[in-house]
Amino acid sequence: MLNAIVIVARKELLDSWRDRRAMLSAALYCLMGPAVVWMVSLTVHNGQLVLSAMMAVFTLVSAFSGGMNVAMDSIAGERERRSLVPLLMHPVTRRHLLAGKWLAVALFAAAGLAINLAGFALIVHRVPPPSLALPLIPLALLAAALELWISTLCRGIKEAHTYLSMLVFLPMGIGMFMVFSPLAAHGWWTFLPVAGQQLQLAATMGGTPPDAAAMFLLGLTTATAAGLALLAAANRLECDDVVYGG
Amino acid sequence: MIEVRNLQKQFTGVIALRNVSFHVPDGAITGLLGANGAGKSTTLRTICGVLTPDAGSVVVDGVSPGDAPLALQSRVGALLDHAGLYARLTPREILTFCGRLHGIPVPRLRERVAEVVDLLDMRSIADRPTGGFSQGERMKTALGRALIHSPRNLLLDEPTSGLDIPAVRALRAFLRRARDGGACILFSSHVLEEVQALCDRIVILAHGEVAAEGTPAEICARAGAASLEDAFVALTSAEVSAC
Repeated sequence: MLNAIVIVARKELLDSWRDRRAMLSAALYCLMGPAVVWMVSLTVHNGQLVLSAMMAVFTLVSAFSGGMNVAMDSIAGERERRSLVPLLMHPVTRRHLLAGKWLAVALFAAAGLAINLAGFALIVHRVPPPSLALPLIPLALLAAALELWISTLCRGIKEAHTYLSMLVFLPMGIGMFMVFSPLAAHGWWTFLPVAGQQLQLAATMGGTPPDAAAMFLLGLTTATAAGLALLAAANRLECDDVVYGG
Repeated sequence: MIEVRNLQKQFTGVIALRNVSFHVPDGAITGLLGANGAGKSTTLRTICGVLTPDAGSVVVDGVSPGDAPLALQSRVGALLDHAGLYARLTPREILTFCGRLHGIPVPRLRERVAEVVDLLDMRSIADRPTGGFSQGERMKTALGRALIHSPRNLLLDEPTSGLDIPAVRALRAFLRRARDGGACILFSSHVLEEVQALCDRIVILAHGEVAAEGTPAEICARAGAASLEDAFVALTSAEVSAC
């Protein structure tokens, strides 16, 4: 059934790639952080910690904004244009269909992260260590799973857009809280999905050597959270009103 | 061949189907009639495996979902009222995607897509994104999607809705050819003249129950009516008064 997952993912990638306005919007969203940090860096000369924290917040947001349009279109959009029922009529389980869509959304989320980090490298000359991939790839998986779950709860693109836009505030809110809260700088927050990534990003972008073990554990907790969100989306997709409500 | 046995389905307090049983033979077009809310769409969605019944069963070509959960989808091609397409993909890409999900090997799939494109006279639109399609072009693409895996059993929910006269005639001709080739076709429509012209057998649903089943002549005789329209009204009204 891996074949079915890949077929669905390929179709989602092709379909979403052709939505050039959505692609451009997502890319600009991901590059907004590097541009803002660059402008701030021109005026702030002794605020490296603040700049690092700002970079971390923008990077977290890019993981959520990179796949947002694809997630919105791939379940809520299918319901709105009445193509979900025909899709469910194929001899493929709903879990496999969802897994294919998740893979596609996660790839766009990861691309959003990559564009954001490349922007920071090119514009403000901050290159993250490769070990940051350990918590950031699971973050893309988590963002994709949460977005798909919300998309399964919505009947159309407009409704999904409302709730997914709110979801993007999650990393922003957590990130800003971490910037200003001294309590968050240590302890179990390091292993909490999103908050942990914020701490690791801010630390490594600020020049602190990466802690590979902590990053691995953070990656593990984030991947577990992604699995739970995906399970919630899969259960939701089994409900009758997903078929009937469209 | 489709056997529907004692199908029951309830949605949050509303009974959609009450012990619905009927038989759809091979080599015949069977019309499924009913007023809005009679249970036609729920019945069709249950037959094609999208909805799970609360009780009862559907057997297609001797196979029930209990034996093989995804077997129904392989044996049934359906064009329900949900005929949505992917606006940024072309019909050829949509048919290829659906064919691959049905497990058709790639070299055979290319041939099959070309066959369906020819069958439905879609050559001029096959490589255009479906976003700007007319209703007829959309319906052809959706029908092609239902036919890509060469199903022996076809479920069609108001397939002529929104089509122009040439497209309706082409669809009717296609259905007759498929029937003559031995296909089992279940066809739902509100247009009684069309049902009378096309269907060999009729199942009438009213309030989630089978109100009558048989050939158009048998249905008219049972209701003591001169036309199918009068018979439909008499039989569904009888159901209402019985309720």
